[in-house]
Amino acid sequence: MAGGYFNQALLVDLGTGTGRTVPLSDQVLRAYLGGVGLGTWLLHELSDPAVDALDPDSVLAFVFSPLVGTPLTTSAKFAVVARSPLTGMLTDALASSHFAIAGKLTGHDAIAVTGRCDRPSVLLVDGDGARLVPADDVWGMSAAGAEAALSARLGGGWRIAAIGPAGEAQVRYATISHDGRHAGRGGLGAVLGAKGLKAVAVHAATKVAPADPEGVVAAARDLRARSFGPATAKYRELGTLSNLLAFNAINTLPTRNFSSGRFDEAPLLAAEELHDLRHVARNSCASCSIGCEHIYATKGGGGARVEYENVYALGPLCGVSDPDDVLSASARCDELGIDTISAGGTIAWAMSCVEAGLLDAPWLRFGDGAAMLRALDEVATQTGIGPLLAEGSQRAAERIGGEALEHLVTVKGLELPGYDPRTLPAMALGLAVNARGADHNRSGAYEADLGGELDRFDPSDAHVAAAIGTEDRAAIMDSMILCKFLRGVFDDPFDEWAELLSLVTGWHMDGDELTDTARRIVLAKRMFNLRAGWTPDDDGLPDRLLDTPVELSSGRTATLARDRLETMIATYHRARGLDADGVPTASAWDDLHLSGTPPLPRTTAAR
Amino acid sequence: MGAVGIVLSGGRSSRMGAPKACLEWHGSTLLARTARILQRAVGQRVMVVRAPGQQLPELPADVEVVDDEEEGLGPMQGVAVGLATAQDDAELAFVCSTDLPFLHPAFVERVLDGFTSEVDAVVPHARGHRQPLAAGYRTALAPTVAELLAAGARKPAMILDACHTHWLDEATLLADPRLAAVDPQLESVRNINVPEDYELARAEPPPQVTVERFGTLARNGQRGARTIEAATLGQAAQAVDLVLDQHVVAALNGERITRDTQVPLVRGDQLAFLSADAGG
Repeated sequence: MAGGYFNQALLVDLGTGTGRTVPLSDQVLRAYLGGVGLGTWLLHELSDPAVDALDPDSVLAFVFSPLVGTPLTTSAKFAVVARSPLTGMLTDALASSHFAIAGKLTGHDAIAVTGRCDRPSVLLVDGDGARLVPADDVWGMSAAGAEAALSARLGGGWRIAAIGPAGEAQVRYATISHDGRHAGRGGLGAVLGAKGLKAVAVHAATKVAPADPEGVVAAARDLRARSFGPATAKYRELGTLSNLLAFNAINTLPTRNFSSGRFDEAPLLAAEELHDLRHVARNSCASCSIGCEHIYATKGGGGARVEYENVYALGPLCGVSDPDDVLSASARCDELGIDTISAGGTIAWAMSCVEAGLLDAPWLRFGDGAAMLRALDEVATQTGIGPLLAEGSQRAAERIGGEALEHLVTVKGLELPGYDPRTLPAMALGLAVNARGADHNRSGAYEADLGGELDRFDPSDAHVAAAIGTEDRAAIMDSMILCKFLRGVFDDPFDEWAELLSLVTGWHMDGDELTDTARRIVLAKRMFNLRAGWTPDDDGLPDRLLDTPVELSSGRTATLARDRLETMIATYHRARGLDADGVPTASAWDDLHLSGTPPLPRTTAAR
Repeated sequence: MGAVGIVLSGGRSSRMGAPKACLEWHGSTLLARTARILQRAVGQRVMVVRAPGQQLPELPADVEVVDDEEEGLGPMQGVAVGLATAQDDAELAFVCSTDLPFLHPAFVERVLDGFTSEVDAVVPHARGHRQPLAAGYRTALAPTVAELLAAGARKPAMILDACHTHWLDEATLLADPRLAAVDPQLESVRNINVPEDYELARAEPPPQVTVERFGTLARNGQRGARTIEAATLGQAAQAVDLVLDQHVVAALNGERITRDTQVPLVRGDQLAFLSADAGG
C-alpha cells in the first residue's frame, strides 16, 4: 500500500444508514491522486451523471488526499464533489481544516453518500463505521450553530461539516461549511439538504504514515519557511480583499451586473481602508502557516470573514458601497449557508432586470444595501422574490424568459467571479471552458493577464497556453491537495509537487507524470459533463460580455470580440486533444492511459 | 488591420554632429524612446527604417529593423520603404523622424483618428510648420511614393500633393481634450537639430506622472496618489521605493500591465503599482 492512503472509500446509503467499502487500487489513486481528481473518478464510478443532483440516487463525496495529516503547510483540505444542482455539471468545492484530518483518519480516502434520510439526520463516521442519528434539534440552525450544537452533543474529537437553512431549503447555491469555511460553489449544500442530511461528523480512529516520514518533515520545514515569503504577503497582510482597489484601478472590477469595470465608491470597501478601521482578527486553517483569513467588525458587534469575492459580489456587483451593508450581507450568507458569489450575482441580475422593467420588484435597486439584505432574507424564508432567486440567475432568467436572459452573466449556469473577462482574455477563455462553469479557482488564468507578459486586450495563442497551464496546475493542487495561495512559492511546480507526493506515497513520480495526471483530471471532468448532458454551446461566455465594450478609465474601451473568443476556444480544444465540438478524442483519452492507469468506467463519451 | 509605427532613423545628423538615434535620453536613447512611444500608441507593431550600414542603438526586441538599401534619397525613401514593408500588415502608419523627444502617444492617436475612408494622409500643421514626419499615411500609398521617387521627388511633402491629405491645424488638434490636457504646446512635434536643441531638451525635467501603490504595497503610510517626475517606468518605481520583480507589476493608465522598466513615461501618465500575486 502506498503511503498516505487507505486504499478505500466509504459509500453510505442514507436510506438504510449502512455503509460499504469501495476499494481504491494504487493505480486509481496514482492516476487521480485525491481531492478533486479522485472525486471525479468516484463520481464516474459510483453515480449515473444523468441523475438529477437533487434526486435521492445522486452521489456526493467528501474526498481527502495523500497529503492530509502530514505536516506540510496548507494540506488540511478536503474536496466535496457532486453533480451541481445549479449547473447540472460536475462541481467540486474545497474547504479546509480539522474535518479533513479527522475525516481521513476514519480510515478512508473518501466518504460518499447516496440515497435520502427518512428524517433529518446527521451522519457519524468513526472507527465503528457509519451510522445516522436524528438531527431534528439542529435542523433550521445555521451551519455554525449546528456545528457547535453537535460538537457539544457528540463530545471532543468530532469534526463536523454542516449545511445551513439554505441547504435545507435546497437553494441551488447553498454551501457546506466547516469551521466557518465553505465548500462554496455549485450548490453542494442543496444536495445534502435534498438528502435530509444536516451534517457529517467524523472522528479520527486510526493513523496513516507517509512513506518517508523524515523526508516529509524536512520538506514541510522548507515549505513552511517559504510560505512566509513575499509570494504570500498579500494573503497574510491584507487578504484577498486587497484585489478590490487594484482591480478597480485596472477596470476589471465588475460593477452593477457587469455594466462597468470600475466602481467609483470602491475605496469605501477597500482593504486598505477597512483594515485599519475594522480589522479584528486573522485566522488560519489547521496546518496552515499563511493565515489568510481576515475578520472584520460588523455593525452591531459581530464579525465577518472578508474575502475579495464576497465583497465584490455583494458590493460593486450590486452597486452597494456601504461597508456595513456589505459585511452584514456577507455574514448573512454565512449564516444561511449560501455562496456569496452566486448570491450577489443572482441579486445583481435581478436588479438589472428590475431596472429594465422586466421584474416586478421595484424595491430591488442597484446601490440599495437594505434591498440586497431583504433579498437574501427572502431567499432564506422562501417568501416574496426568494423562491425565484433561490434557483440561481440562469433558471430564474429562463423562467421569466425574453429579455431577462440578456441580463444573465453566467457560464454553465454559474455566476461569474470578480474578474471582467473583457479586460482579461486568458481569464475569459478559462471561464468559458472550465468544467465547473465560471470559476476562478479551477482556472486562474487571470495570473497570465495580470502578470505583465501578455497583452490584456489582444487575445492570442499565448493566452490559450497560459489558460491551459493554469488549469493544469489547479488540477494538481486541488487533487494532492495544497492551498493555491501557496502557488507562488514554487519555482518548478510540477517537479516540486511530484517530489512531495513521492515522499508521502513512496511512488517515484516526476513532473511529466503529474502533467499527464493534470490532463487526465481535466478531461475526466469534461467526460463527466458530457455524460451529464454538456453540449458545445456550454463552452462560451454570456452574450452580455461579447461584442459589448467596457469603458476604461483612460476613456478608451475594451471589447472581447465573439470571433476572437471562439478562436481561443477552438485552439484550446485542439491543444487539449478535443475534437471541434470539444469532445475528447479517443486517442487523446487513450494517450493518458498508456502507462497502465485504469480507464474511467463507462467512458463511452470519447469519440 | 490597424496601424503600425514607422521611425525613420537614417538621417545624416550633420548639424547635430553625432547620430541623433544614439543620443542619450534618460538612460536610453532617443531612437529607442521614439520607438517605444509609438509602441504605446499603436500597439507593439513598430519598425525602424535605417540607412545602409547604419549602426543602431539597442532597441526593444519586438521592434522590427528594416534596411533601406538606397542611399542618399532622403526621408521620402524611408517613407517608401516603411510603407511598402507595412502594407501587408496594416492599413495605416504613423511615420515620424527619430528626433521628437517630446512625442506623446495622445498626439499619435489624435493624428490616426483623423483618417476617414477618403483620406490618404493625415498631417499636422503645428508650431509654424507642416509636419509630414510626424504624420499618418495610408500604407497603400507605397506605390505612389515609389513612383514619386522614381520621378525625382525627394521631399515627403510632395507625397501630400499627390494624395487626399487631411490637415490638422493646432486648433483642431487641441480640440481633443485629452491631447490638450497632456500636450497643450504641441511639443510632440518639437524636433532637435543642433547640439543646443538637444541640451535644452535634455535639461528639461522629466514628465510629471501620478503614481499609486495598492494592496500590501500601500502599507506603512504609502497609500494614496502622488505626483512625481519620471521619464521611465523604472525611474517611477525607484521614486516610490519599489522594485519591479516577480511580485510587483505596474498598470499604465489602467491598461497595459508591465514590468518593463524601460517603458517611457509622458505627461499625464497614471501608474498603479500592484501585487503580481493576483487573485484569490
